[in-house]
Amino acid sequence: MSAPDASDGAIAATIERALAFHTLSIADLVGVFEDARPDAPARRRRILELLGAHPQRRHAALIGITGTPGSGKSTLIGRVALALSAARDLSIAVVAVDPSSLASGGALLGDRVRVRFPVDRPQLYFRSQSSESELGGLGPDTFQVCRLLHHLFDLVFVETVGIGQSEVDVRWLADRMYLVLQPLGGDEIQMLKAGIMEVPDAIVVNKCDEAKAARRLLASLTTSLPLSRPFGDGPPAVLQTSGTTGEGIEALAEDILGHVARPANGLGDKEAHFFRRWARLEWGRAGERLLEESLGGAANFVASAGGFDEAEERFAAAVRKALAI
Amino acid sequence: MHLVVDKEGKPAPDRPWIFRTYAGHSSPRASNQLYRSNLARGQTGLSIAFDLPTQCGYDSDHPIARPEVGKVGVPVNSLDDMHLLFDEIPLDKMNTSMTINATSMWLLSLYIGLARERGIPEDKLTGTTQNDIVKEYLARGTYIFPPEASFRLIAEMYEYCLDRVPDWNASNVCSYHLQEAGATPVEELAFALSTAIGVLDTVRSRGHVPPADFPRLVGRISFFVNAGIRFIEEMCKMRAFTELWDELCRDRYGVTDEKLRRFRYGVQVNSLGLTAEQPENNAWRILLETLGVTLSRNARCRALQLPAWNEALSLPRPWDQQWSLRLQQILAYETDLLEYADLFDGSPVIASKVAALKKEASAEIARILDMGGVKSAIESGYMKTRLVRSMAERMRRINTGEKIVVGENKFSEGLPSPLLTGSDGGIFRVDDSAVTETLAMLEKTRKSRDPKRAAAALERLRAAARGSENLMEPSIECALARVTTGEWANTLREVFGEFRPATGVDGQKLGLETDRVAELRARIAKLTTRLGRRPRLLVGKPGLDGHSNGAEVIAVSARHVGFDVIYSGIRLTPEEIVQSAVAEGADVIGASILSGSHVELAGQILDGLAKAGAADRIQLVMGGIIPSDDFEALKKRGVRRIFTPADFGLVDVMADIVGLIEERVDQR
Repeated sequence: MSAPDASDGAIAATIERALAFHTLSIADLVGVFEDARPDAPARRRRILELLGAHPQRRHAALIGITGTPGSGKSTLIGRVALALSAARDLSIAVVAVDPSSLASGGALLGDRVRVRFPVDRPQLYFRSQSSESELGGLGPDTFQVCRLLHHLFDLVFVETVGIGQSEVDVRWLADRMYLVLQPLGGDEIQMLKAGIMEVPDAIVVNKCDEAKAARRLLASLTTSLPLSRPFGDGPPAVLQTSGTTGEGIEALAEDILGHVARPANGLGDKEAHFFRRWARLEWGRAGERLLEESLGGAANFVASAGGFDEAEERFAAAVRKALAI
Repeated sequence: MHLVVDKEGKPAPDRPWIFRTYAGHSSPRASNQLYRSNLARGQTGLSIAFDLPTQCGYDSDHPIARPEVGKVGVPVNSLDDMHLLFDEIPLDKMNTSMTINATSMWLLSLYIGLARERGIPEDKLTGTTQNDIVKEYLARGTYIFPPEASFRLIAEMYEYCLDRVPDWNASNVCSYHLQEAGATPVEELAFALSTAIGVLDTVRSRGHVPPADFPRLVGRISFFVNAGIRFIEEMCKMRAFTELWDELCRDRYGVTDEKLRRFRYGVQVNSLGLTAEQPENNAWRILLETLGVTLSRNARCRALQLPAWNEALSLPRPWDQQWSLRLQQILAYETDLLEYADLFDGSPVIASKVAALKKEASAEIARILDMGGVKSAIESGYMKTRLVRSMAERMRRINTGEKIVVGENKFSEGLPSPLLTGSDGGIFRVDDSAVTETLAMLEKTRKSRDPKRAAAALERLRAAARGSENLMEPSIECALARVTTGEWANTLREVFGEFRPATGVDGQKLGLETDRVAELRARIAKLTTRLGRRPRLLVGKPGLDGHSNGAEVIAVSARHVGFDVIYSGIRLTPEEIVQSAVAEGADVIGASILSGSHVELAGQILDGLAKAGAADRIQLVMGGIIPSDDFEALKKRGVRRIFTPADFGLVDVMADIVGLIEERVDQR
């Protein structure tokens, strides 16, 4: 197997093809942003430099979709993406994150079963990722991959499983965040307890073809939402959909388009949070303390390094020196 | 006392059960010839196997259908095909069982349409449409619509048949496929009876059948059961079924007439336990399994079909089917089995085993009803998860040698089988020219029909589906108007939507916790460092065959040793598999195929990879029922490894795949 050529010319050519939605090239670039080898940050930096200066680069808004397993998130994303792509000719990437096994580290990524994009529409791209934890939430590379996809597509969906703390990171990543609930479960109670109701911008009651149960859930939401969001700006919007019959999909698509402003070039404003997270995942509490106490905190450190990738390289060196490894 | 006697007290042996052979392949014309020769050899009923496009509601010329046409059964596109299929077979004298589910209503409508055109009164038709959607969701995979709509179709068939085709079994509750998917006897009992409750509760709550007629409808429920190699337990299971059903009909549905509470069932004995190694041993297995469902008079099957000794290798040839039929004939006509009353009444061993099965099954039924019944238990993935776990447990016991499979994990040393040395290698191949004939007939039907009548019939079907009119009569009109299978199914797809069920891959335990797993995990950790990420395996099923449990066990095993596994599901075109593998940056595609279309599908996947520029990155391995004769051709084409049921050692399979990736990384 020939590894993708890493010369500047080759990278530029790959970027050119990726911007024209050549799936293999997109996947190759994504691979660089998921790569844990030491030379990867330099390659990522180069790709983003070339891409950031490219006249055809895009600036996707990031849409977070979360909810418990079985709430129908994947089916819903599949439907909405198809609707947005067909009616508005938007290019869309989906990053679906699933939990992995603690015992083996391996993961079973099954969201693809429910999302079928037509083979003749490469403007729709789907990528599965493992969260590297049993609970769900974002994977260690999700932010990295979003830095790339942000420039390649008009819209990026990030789908995560889990309730509670593991979702807070999605809040940091997404420009708008949806929580998907299904009327059948007693999930809403658990979610209220876990405090997750504070997180989303909007709630989607999916599987509303189960009319009776959906009405019950809606009623319980309207009475309890104000209580559960003592600090929010009022209760979030509540939408009803059915991934099976397609009901409410158009309204959800409208809601997404209506609420996402065209974001700035790059994900600079999100870097500090994800740099701190990366430092913790890679180097543990010791790393995080070093960053906060000796290196002036994530925001300063990233700014003074001149970018996320440079900061990663510099921080790795700083930690090795501090810990003498 | 011990003999079966007639009213006058004279010995009168029981009539034998109906002898069937599950058959159909290539084209309506070829299948018709097969049926007629089987009937001439003493078979007493028909059991029709349909090909996957017909089962999944696609016309033979649909892209996803093309590689599958005529492979595992006969293709039926329209009423014109039915005329060929039943040529010179008297419908009013034939008991016809159709293995058809999501499109059951369509096939029954075609059968009734055929009777109408031949001038045969519908009330003379006898037979069965399998029509058990629950086991399709759980095991077999030929579902189309979501549960609510599927149950509506089933209920409407019962309502229609009750008075107009009174001897038709509108559905056949199947525990058969549950056992194939790994169910324990208790799960078989509980899941099948819960399904029957689901059907009856649906019909009752719709309120279209007057309460006075309801017991008669209960009496129309029939079952299709599996018989495994533990034949004493299997016989007890049948007795437990009989007793539980009797109690259920009486207590839940208030049926007072004992005859209407009788547990009527047909059997196909187990194929799961049949081995590819020393395949001749399967003949004995089939015999023993047959005893489980015939020995006990009180729980004897109504109809029996036997698999062929070489089923783990390929579809049976006519001679293989004849050999199985002869077993039934010897048992019924040569032995004294049918002369005696029940042999086991009064046996304390049998009684206590039956009681234990009943108790556990009743508890499981109560659990499912608590969840909201069988529909909820499917949607939540509960039943699927249970089955996948049981299957994994079965594999674990075979892997550890706890469960002995002669010729496979014990006594595997043996002489080569002379049965496999014929010029055809002991296996059956579909004649490809049959497809041309089928496609030509479909073309002819579309051209020669009255387009206005066909369009009007479809419009009426659509309107009925949106409303609440019974869909049988509109479907029969579609049949008569020469609407095609794909058109009928697509119209309902547009109204009802399509279903994607829970995969059941969660919560499995494989019992592979051995040193070899630890060793493999270490190898994968090393690979992860070298690649900068975990190795990625994409598992999917191209084509229409929906037996997904094998693919799921592979997916779970791969996660267990440390792969990132992308499970992409079933009913994929080769193009979709390629698209997924490329987009996901997979190292290996594992494609599972049981329908016999492996050569075509492998070619299409490899061509697709080449076209996407990924031929040197993504390797293809295949699993399924693949005759060893095809290995050479597949390997030449570029398939890197082929796994068959003989490769039951999951750790070996995984080690093989890891090795393939290591090789590629070394070459870089």
